[in-house]
Amino acid sequence: MSRSSYLKPDTVALHAGYVPESDHGSRAVPIYQTTSYVFESVSEGSSLFNVEQGGHIYSRITNPTVAVLEQRIAALEGGSGAICTASGMSALFTIFITLCSAGDHIISATQIYGSTATLLKHTIKRLGIECSFVSVNDEQALRDAIQPNTKMVFCESIGNPGLEISDIPGISTIAHEAGIPVVVDATFATPCLCRPFEHGADIVVHSVTKWMGGHGVAIGGVIVDGGQFDWEQSGRFPELTEPYAPFHGIRFWEEFGPSALAMKMRAESMRDVGAAMSPHNAFLILQGIETLNLRMKQHVANARALLEWLQQQEAVTWTNYPDMESNPSHALAATLFPDGAGSMLCFGVTGGRAGGAAFIDSLQLASNLANVGDARTLVLHPASTTHSRLTGEDMKAAGISEDMIRVSVGIEDISDIKADFGRGFKAAERVAGAA
Amino acid sequence: MYTEVRGQKTYAATGGKAFDGSLPTVMFVHGSGLDHRSWALQTRWFAYNGYSVLAPDLPGHSLSAGEALTSIEDMGAWLAEFIRANGVSKVHAIGHSQGFLDVLELARQAPELLKSITGIGTAGAIPVNPALIEAAKNSAADAADMLLMWGFGPDAQYGISAVPGMQPIAIGRQIMASNPLHADLVACGEYLNGSEVAKTIDVPAQLILARKDRLTPVKAGMAFARELNASTTIIERYGHMLPIEAPRQTLQKLRELIGSLENTA
Repeated sequence: MSRSSYLKPDTVALHAGYVPESDHGSRAVPIYQTTSYVFESVSEGSSLFNVEQGGHIYSRITNPTVAVLEQRIAALEGGSGAICTASGMSALFTIFITLCSAGDHIISATQIYGSTATLLKHTIKRLGIECSFVSVNDEQALRDAIQPNTKMVFCESIGNPGLEISDIPGISTIAHEAGIPVVVDATFATPCLCRPFEHGADIVVHSVTKWMGGHGVAIGGVIVDGGQFDWEQSGRFPELTEPYAPFHGIRFWEEFGPSALAMKMRAESMRDVGAAMSPHNAFLILQGIETLNLRMKQHVANARALLEWLQQQEAVTWTNYPDMESNPSHALAATLFPDGAGSMLCFGVTGGRAGGAAFIDSLQLASNLANVGDARTLVLHPASTTHSRLTGEDMKAAGISEDMIRVSVGIEDISDIKADFGRGFKAAERVAGAA
Repeated sequence: MYTEVRGQKTYAATGGKAFDGSLPTVMFVHGSGLDHRSWALQTRWFAYNGYSVLAPDLPGHSLSAGEALTSIEDMGAWLAEFIRANGVSKVHAIGHSQGFLDVLELARQAPELLKSITGIGTAGAIPVNPALIEAAKNSAADAADMLLMWGFGPDAQYGISAVPGMQPIAIGRQIMASNPLHADLVACGEYLNGSEVAKTIDVPAQLILARKDRLTPVKAGMAFARELNASTTIIERYGHMLPIEAPRQTLQKLRELIGSLENTA
């Protein structure tokens, strides 16, 4: 049970946000491939524009198919509302600019996705928003980083690609003492494995392109408002508590309370920035979510089996998976991810950078590409791709080494994955031997 | 906006426009554990269409200070003080669930302040299961879960929302869990004046009931409507939380009654 629904998660994944529509009785969620919606009257149009009633005006702001996905993900996470966006990165940009203005400050974990690091370090800096990168599990470092203008603490529930587990309860306690919300990118876990709101987080972001969709055919993102953060008491967010001029001076917190943030993002970011998800992509992501729980069980089972096998291979120099016993995050992972800490794992291969390249180039089943969370097994060399824009020092802080192979373990038969990797290790060993 | 009632800072939503007591005033009274946000999809329409709106948070609820009131009788008296504190001579009073019991008490104690009354998802008495009261005593969140599981109709249980992308159950739970739900439920369950008050009501009255209401079933609402000589509407498909679940239909019935009385229908 989540905080948004009294149905069980498997049922929510199939049903939340939609009941068969009255006109045709379509059992599947229809794709409302339309830009706009006819008003019954001038009066109704006026009411919709003035938030006197709910409904759809223009698909940049809301769309019925996208709304089903938003309500389904909000129900899975236990949030008060959700806003879907064109991509995971646009979801992050949306939450950053909704809560921050020029002169504000963000605290971010160091172990985060490379493009997110670039967004925080370079792009939003041009808008006058500064970011401090800290090891967010270091309580003192986190406390020391808080400034009067800090507007959020940002972390990933499982860091990409270092796989560091963020101590969401500990981070939330410190942030909340200072009246600061915690934003968690929970892409690697999905709500099947961890619901950050239950551990103190205030806002959850996903790239739904990944495990949520699972099929690797649609790009999308989502921001979920947990509804628990008291924006008034914080005193740091006049954007939510003071009159908002473009909407007749509406005060989002007074008017909407637990859904104030979601309503603000809808009214401002979707209207002004317009990073909207297409209804067709929403439909595709919905197809994936229907089987999310089944897939995540198999992802985790395969990841654990592959890890165990990797640890026995001579060509493997080290392994990393968040809830393996030797990992410093093991106890935390067991608490936050009782059903498994996802299906991402990393390892080092003999032969260093050249060995890693030989390993990847010889694979037949696993795909070498810049994505994770596909139902198929995916591999990548982060140092030369996703995190190549980072300096050596930043790469080290992000938990990346030259020999690192990142694996997004798929749901194929595990024996076929092992056979494929075995082929790769022979190639790596040849390179290492030649050296 | 904030006013002072009984020496306490009291919040009332005004529908997004500054309160203007010279306009016909519509007052919305929330149900147990809830607040002014129950009425988000009714108050703005009235405020932007020729009325002034007052949707207070009762003492100790959400944005209003003070201790929770412990009887419906006192809530009725408080509403009378609240109306006078805002310089209003008469209101159209609308109450959801327990909020309508408050309106009935207002009618008994200060009938001169009323132009019409409307009850939504309600009856003349609302017995409360002792197990629910006990749960609320220990945990408002647990009691909120019980109430919301029963209170929202089938569509809302399947995550349907009148506002795209939102989840009404989570919003209701967050509000109820932070408010004095136990005090409200005790007061609600103890109130037995409904039938007596019904005999004295001499302003237009209507009840808007929900076919799938499991907290105040249609049968109880219809029986009270006869005592009250009220016009009655039953909205199909939805549950007890009509202002949130079926905001358009609810607003339409409010517009019809109040508009006819103010000649703006």
